[in-house]
Amino acid sequence: MPTNSLNMESSISKYCIIKPNEVIVDGEIQFTNAEESEFGAFMKSVYKNYNINYPKYFKMDNLCKIAFIASEIIMQGNEHIKETDPVKVGVIMQNSHSTIDTDSKYVETIIDKENYFPSPAVFVYTLPNVMIGEICIRNKFQGENTCFISKEFDAEFLTEYVDALMNSGKIDACIAGWADYTESDFSAIMFLVEKNKENKKDNISFKPEFIKRLIE
Amino acid sequence: MDTVFAIADNIITSLGFTSNENFNALKNNISGIKQTTDPKITQVPMYTSIVDSERLTTEFSKIGNVDDYTRLEKLMILSINDVLNQTKINPSQEDTLFIFSSTKGNIDLLENPDHDFDLERINLWALADKVCAFFKSPVRPVFISNACVSGVTAITIAAQYLRSKKYTNVIVCGGDIISEFTPSGFQSFKAVSENPCKPFDASRNGITLGEGAGTILFSTNKELVKDENPVVFRGGANTNDANHISGPSRTGDGLYYAIRNALAEAEKTNKDIDYISGHGTATPYNDEMESKAIAWAELNHVPVNSLKAYWGHTLGAAGIIECIAGIHSIKENVLIKTIGYNEHGVSEQINVIKENKNTEIKNFLKTASGFGGSNAAAYFSELNAD
Repeated sequence: MPTNSLNMESSISKYCIIKPNEVIVDGEIQFTNAEESEFGAFMKSVYKNYNINYPKYFKMDNLCKIAFIASEIIMQGNEHIKETDPVKVGVIMQNSHSTIDTDSKYVETIIDKENYFPSPAVFVYTLPNVMIGEICIRNKFQGENTCFISKEFDAEFLTEYVDALMNSGKIDACIAGWADYTESDFSAIMFLVEKNKENKKDNISFKPEFIKRLIE
Repeated sequence: MDTVFAIADNIITSLGFTSNENFNALKNNISGIKQTTDPKITQVPMYTSIVDSERLTTEFSKIGNVDDYTRLEKLMILSINDVLNQTKINPSQEDTLFIFSSTKGNIDLLENPDHDFDLERINLWALADKVCAFFKSPVRPVFISNACVSGVTAITIAAQYLRSKKYTNVIVCGGDIISEFTPSGFQSFKAVSENPCKPFDASRNGITLGEGAGTILFSTNKELVKDENPVVFRGGANTNDANHISGPSRTGDGLYYAIRNALAEAEKTNKDIDYISGHGTATPYNDEMESKAIAWAELNHVPVNSLKAYWGHTLGAAGIIECIAGIHSIKENVLIKTIGYNEHGVSEQINVIKENKNTEIKNFLKTASGFGGSNAAAYFSELNAD
């Protein structure tokens, strides 16, 4: 939603892009998938590389895994966010294929009536906003949290919506971005967004024109 | 700030194909929940609320080719079409946005490969595109999939768009269908009630699932308003428990924060609430959590109901059709009793509506909670309520 000029701008404190071949953090390629590992092995090597220690990770489905890892990377060095009012920290995500990977796996468990074994541990991951829930649980964030479905990552939409939440006073900080997983492709684009700090010189505005430059 | 008017609405459930049919059933305390043994839905007998398929085909064939659309697309298109027939807006113009809410969309296409639809339609955005194309909308729609709070959140976001003046009209449409996917999942959680659900009751033991669609047209254009004292959206909010992905908070903190923030946006206090349309899924934990949140917000005295024993838990439609029922409670000054509630079964002494009551209702608070730890609240009132 458009905001008027009186409103405070928000800026990107840190961002992370995960693609099948690399992990980019604040514009720098920090980790590459040199061995061209498949998703699970690649994510595990990223998990180890960033010294993430969260046993619940291993229970998550693939969509939650990629979203969670991107969120962990952008939270590193930004622990001050956890000291603010938890209800003022939001998590706003976009996604294209919802939970198609887990949906397909779940359907496998109910399609054959002779071999019928629906599992709550799989079923719970058939909702795309569960990735937001996982990030909220990890960081104790309790603010606005919504999962939008969009064919492609939509920087205009995301920035407008997060700006509107910031300017409404509902949130002061936000994890915002995109995570998508299918059998053939995966990606995450995740930003830590905070209201501009006056004493910080190199604010990168959370605006679509800047974001498009970052993800090119 | 521009006023966000609720202009027109539609509900399609087992109880009927219009808001009036549905609300009349509610006023007569008629439930649409029935037992099914359809093997395409459940492997054991189960209570659920299903839209009449024959009528769906008949009604849809009046406006489109039944074979071109999935069950959910037909429900959504019919629901939106009924709303448009009540007004003079033109959805093919740039000033009208569509916002959708659904948890599983066309999930039946994945379960039953024996169909002629392009598998792309399993994508929620493709479902939205199909519905928007029917109405020749030139605007890229917004799609929300936030578990059981999707509908309430969709409404709050519609209001944000209208207040930003980006659009004059927003059509919010939510829906989900019953196939085997969702029932089997809730059954695996042991969360489905053996009998029709009993919200807030001592013997409640799970949910009853339902299907349906609901649509509300919101607008800032006063000329569309027909009522002398129309119902307007005042405020909404959404929070997370940050506690568990499939179980509600034990304390009700997340839902309490959502109520607090929604009232703050509406510039109202807990003294300004005539009625709470609760979530009331009838799982032991959900209803207990809700009672705690309501008590925390000091709303114990306010009449509260759950409509889940009328049309089941309709997931992506629930927040929308229950807000529509709230709007009609304001218009008709009637509170609907909570079917299934006999013996108080939550720890806080909240005021669960036991019998229908004709009384002046100027406003209501809608609440919802769901998987992923989400909570949402929205506040509506008459334009001249203050």
